[in-house]
Amino acid sequence: MGMITFKEGNLRIPKWNRKVFVVAGGTTAYRKYFPDYKLEELVMIAFKNTLEDNNLKMDPLEVKGLINFAAYGEFADHFQDQLLCQAKVHDYLGLDPLYNVGIKTGGATGGSAILAAAMAVASGYANVALAAGWERMDEVDTRTGNFYISTAACKDFETRLGRIYSSYYAPMANRFAWAFNVSEVTRAKIAVKNHLYAYYSPYAQQPGKYTVEDVLNSPMSAYPLRFLECCAMSVGSACVLLCDEETAYKLTDHPCELFICGGSHTLRVADRRHMEVPLLPHETPGMYKDLYLKEGARYPGFESFLASRFAAWLVYRMAGIQNPIQDLDLVELHDAFTISDLQTYGDIGLRPYGQEQDYIESGDAYYINPHTGKPGECPSNLSGGLIGTMHAVGATGIFQAAECLWQLQQKYDQFHSDPKTWKKWGKEKPEDWESLQIPESSKQALWVSHAGVGSHVTVGILRKSW
Amino acid sequence: MAKKRAPLKKKKELKKKARAQKKVQTKKPVQIKKKTSIKKKIRPKGKRQVNFVGQITRIRQAEPATVIEWPRTITHIHTYGMLSPFFKGLREGRLMATRCPNEKCSEKRLWIPPRAHCPDCHTEMTWEALPNPVIGKIYTFTEVVYAGTGIELSTPYWQVDVDIPGLATIPKSFLLYGEPHIGMKVKAEFRTKNPTNTVLDYYWVPYEK
Repeated sequence: MGMITFKEGNLRIPKWNRKVFVVAGGTTAYRKYFPDYKLEELVMIAFKNTLEDNNLKMDPLEVKGLINFAAYGEFADHFQDQLLCQAKVHDYLGLDPLYNVGIKTGGATGGSAILAAAMAVASGYANVALAAGWERMDEVDTRTGNFYISTAACKDFETRLGRIYSSYYAPMANRFAWAFNVSEVTRAKIAVKNHLYAYYSPYAQQPGKYTVEDVLNSPMSAYPLRFLECCAMSVGSACVLLCDEETAYKLTDHPCELFICGGSHTLRVADRRHMEVPLLPHETPGMYKDLYLKEGARYPGFESFLASRFAAWLVYRMAGIQNPIQDLDLVELHDAFTISDLQTYGDIGLRPYGQEQDYIESGDAYYINPHTGKPGECPSNLSGGLIGTMHAVGATGIFQAAECLWQLQQKYDQFHSDPKTWKKWGKEKPEDWESLQIPESSKQALWVSHAGVGSHVTVGILRKSW
Repeated sequence: MAKKRAPLKKKKELKKKARAQKKVQTKKPVQIKKKTSIKKKIRPKGKRQVNFVGQITRIRQAEPATVIEWPRTITHIHTYGMLSPFFKGLREGRLMATRCPNEKCSEKRLWIPPRAHCPDCHTEMTWEALPNPVIGKIYTFTEVVYAGTGIELSTPYWQVDVDIPGLATIPKSFLLYGEPHIGMKVKAEFRTKNPTNTVLDYYWVPYEK
């Protein structure tokens, strides 16, 4: 049987030529319709947030004066209806004549922009690099927006069969439920959790206190995925600032070291041929020998994402992660749909393949484990994720990284609690607001930036370095 | 070859002559105009002003920012390239697949969606028609309820991924009628009458023995 085979060179573990750190992040709020600002104005707001509100030890314009390079994430020219948006934004931020590159890898665009910026720092091209991302998805109506997104499925063999991305994830949800005996209540719990965490975020587009019943009774997009299980279609922007080690400690006493790797797999799920599972450091040979015995069973098939597994396979070795559920204190996953979130638990080894649902059912994925009343083992998507807070595609992987940074720096409250921040975005802070700050002992956070039905995935890790 | 070249040369010569004539023709009237239009140059009539020939852009909302409408209709010219035999096959009621002919290649199975080149060894693939009736099993499915703009199938409908014996792939299509389940046997049918000239020209129906 044909399968993807690797040669030794393909499996080399990436290594920076020098260490890379993240020191600051910034964001706008996210909205479905956001006519108040032009795109470059939104990026400016996120950029200012990065330079001015992260307690950096230099004047914002002095920090700006250290930047050598920018990597810009934007998913689709269709949406912006403006080619070379990067040039407009870069000029608007006042960064000319520094070089910048535009990055486009679908839903993984944000992660890829950070990877590109990290490469610039690691190689020595830059001491300080900006990764900024954006998306303006409100120039067209929702169904047309969904059609645009569906052109990120194969235009000849898939796009016409749904013209909406939920219809490419829904078959995976049905196969996953059948293969691993998963109730749709588990998926609904993910939606409930992420909408709830979004409730505490001033940036969130789809916050809400829902029940499992609310989720299962919400309108159907593509069976079995309901509207409340699907990500937001957003307008907004996010930034992070990357530095070499020396500059990082000049700018802050609380930098986080960055590790990030990527993987890719076919645009069409149809083309995913069976292969052996690449094992993560804590997994053992033979542990999956019974999992793919069912007739027609394949790895990764419709159940899993090789791109995510491969990115995790690389980055865990790059960062020295031995056992993700123990070593990580927070994950921000690409919950474009409840099912993709669930699938990813196996890919990045929070649970073995076939037992993904246990990460939710055990309570490990929660800020407070509902079974024990104690902090969850490794909480997931405290930002509210894509389902609750935002999916302004080019910004998403960058927003997630900023949230991970702030959590490790103990700045969740600084960025989510201030009534002025809520007011700035035309909202009132809820009276029953709660902090989702992870404990001070937390050391490492991971985020996943994910495209297509798993065509491109980056897995990044931030490590507290003070 | 020689026969074909001769008429081409003639055509080229004719074109050259036509161009030369045009040049002569267009130069003369311009010169005449120049001689007679000194006054018009000073006060040009409406004819020589730039006219707005578009449609007035509508303002959608004025507060808090001015938001305009920007309509467009676009036709792309899209090629099926080396995969054209697949779409031709659909019009003729056949599922065409590709196979790597390289004996040293480990992938012996067929591809639908087809590929012109083998991803493993880069050899140009060869075409084979799957013998009718093509029977497959539903690998997974969804009911598309809310579809994006331009959807060409009446909603709701069942989108199905079908495992076809001998294929490396599990292609996506739709079920014409009936209700799918994983493992259900289905038969391929074709829209040979009034074809859409797209992948929608084949679909599946429940298969009973």
